[in-house]
Amino acid sequence: MTTRRHFLASLLAVSAAPAVGWAAVGDPNYLAAARLPDGAYMLAGLREDGSTAFSVPLPARGHAACAHPSRAEAVGFARRPGTYALVVDCRDGAVLHRLTPPEDRQFNGHGTFSPDGRLLYTVEQAVEDSAGHIGIWDAQADYARIGEFASHGVGPHDLRVMPDHQTLVIANGGIQTDKWDRAKLNTATMRPNLVYTALDGTLLELRELPEFHQNSIRHLALRADGLVGFAMQWEGEPGMAPPLLALHRRGEELVLCEAPLGDELAMDGYAGSVAFSGDGSEIAITSPRGGRIHRFSDAGRFLGAVSRADVCGIASHAGGYMASDGLGGVLLVGRDGARPLARAEAAWDNHLVAIAG
Amino acid sequence: MRYSLLCCALLSATPAAAGVEEALSDHILPGFAGFAEAAEALAVTAEADCTAPALRRPWNASFDAWTAIGDVRMGPSETGALSVAFWPDARGFTPKTLTRLISSQEEVGTDPGAFAEVSIAARGLFALERMLFDAEFSGYEAGSYACTLVQTMSADLANQAQALEAGWREGYADVLRSAGAEGNATYLSEDEALTALYTQVLSSLEFTADSRLGRPLGSFDRPRPTRAEAWRSERSLRNVRLYADAAGAFAHTLVDGELPLTEAALTRLHEVADRVADPALQDIEDPSARLRLEIVQQQVRALHDAIEQEVGVPLGLTPGFNSQDGD
Repeated sequence: MTTRRHFLASLLAVSAAPAVGWAAVGDPNYLAAARLPDGAYMLAGLREDGSTAFSVPLPARGHAACAHPSRAEAVGFARRPGTYALVVDCRDGAVLHRLTPPEDRQFNGHGTFSPDGRLLYTVEQAVEDSAGHIGIWDAQADYARIGEFASHGVGPHDLRVMPDHQTLVIANGGIQTDKWDRAKLNTATMRPNLVYTALDGTLLELRELPEFHQNSIRHLALRADGLVGFAMQWEGEPGMAPPLLALHRRGEELVLCEAPLGDELAMDGYAGSVAFSGDGSEIAITSPRGGRIHRFSDAGRFLGAVSRADVCGIASHAGGYMASDGLGGVLLVGRDGARPLARAEAAWDNHLVAIAG
Repeated sequence: MRYSLLCCALLSATPAAAGVEEALSDHILPGFAGFAEAAEALAVTAEADCTAPALRRPWNASFDAWTAIGDVRMGPSETGALSVAFWPDARGFTPKTLTRLISSQEEVGTDPGAFAEVSIAARGLFALERMLFDAEFSGYEAGSYACTLVQTMSADLANQAQALEAGWREGYADVLRSAGAEGNATYLSEDEALTALYTQVLSSLEFTADSRLGRPLGSFDRPRPTRAEAWRSERSLRNVRLYADAAGAFAHTLVDGELPLTEAALTRLHEVADRVADPALQDIEDPSARLRLEIVQQQVRALHDAIEQEVGVPLGLTPGFNSQDGD
């Protein structure tokens, strides 16, 4: 029986554009946000050859977007403080939904879709004490918020669904920020961690960095066999040259990936993004401050550096990695070095996000 | 969009290309040649007499020469500069490694060819400073292991200087010159190369203000004089001056015409530095000495701002999008 409310709802559904797949926006392999020369922001889809599949305007500089695995939708999170997230239609930039975290909560970086595209997971922190939470939203029901659980750490920044589709891996950055001015409050005592939970939030495993507890765990990369790589940002005294990448496999010890001292120092204590290479045999981190990319084997051995000013975005590519930078460059980084693929009149923002599928 | 493209085209057409070539031929390449010459002279002196008193003067001359190009951190210098000038040594690697080499008389300390494998903390100007100026190390006799080690370190420094000079002249200079050419993955346009050079100038002054001066200044309640750069050799203030002079000279190669604000800021920097009593900055627990050093720090920042205004603004150069904003 058709009630009046159901009738109205179906009218709305019809009048809203039907969801379309990534093919409708030119089959991009990656999402990247950028600032244009006139100061406006855009979200672009890039293909493996560096060409632009689509570009749509963004209302503001966002944090890294995440891509729906099948629908041409991206979710962009507001920057500090993360008071909203926008679900954007990649055909025209239309804002399909505006997500608001619960009261006294902020989005705190990244989000990720479940592999089947049904759910969106978001990292959040309590405004009061930066305690971490994972929010769950139903991507098939207008992104209704349907649940949440603790991230088992402070200041979570990134999360992924593990290849078993039953486990989440969470990077708890460890940094507590001031309620009002976002100043870092606990860098002397911070204890970041890497956490695995079941999909209901049950804690399965927690790893800390006893030797380098001031190394904020911020970004994650995942290999199909469950190997996790995480990139870090040093909050301790400058010049300490800590390792900025670690590898982890469930149930095993962390493997810290160290570069030679001179190379480590040149990274300036900061890794901005991390990705496995296309064939999974190696992993790389970027440092926009150092203007370099460091490559490591999947066992943690240093393989070499590539220099490129303001480089930050990096993602897997059939030929190794694709990297993007604040000068507008899109580079292919392989075993034999880098080669430019494209240059945009725009500054690419921090992350290059691979679109699944 | 069209307007900005036009700007970029104009920028690459004339002053940008001139800036890169002049920076190379008037500043960077002669700077590395000068350092290579000075380091070679130090190594030759050490061959004849490796005791500390004999080497302090040529070591100082090498450090003076280094400051002309020492803060350049690109190409061969990106990591190569760190094994010449390993500072700050936040984890105390330099004395630890030197003590280990000397106490176990490790063979690598007698072989300049193999010495490149040693931790960068035990190589270069600051490791030599420990050997020549730190009473813990400098009392060694002629003929001792430590004396041979100093010969090895001096020869290694000369090797490094020569490799840097050749690396720039024969390799990286062309990477800069060919900016924007097909296949150049470091500089995708000529203005990127100019921006990279300009960034070196500003970074040097930021490092001087934040680290060379900021580290010893510490906080008002807790000054840290022994965190000054090269305080054992009493070069701390001299380095501040020389690196600033180098930044000024470098800036001049990037644009045509006069730089009156930059010149005035540099002159003023030397004036305020003249008022600092202790060249090693070891007196900053005294509030008035501290204040004089803070004024030097402010003036380094003023020089930085003058260069931004006279070089960066006219050329339309801005600092990095991602490097300035953490995520």
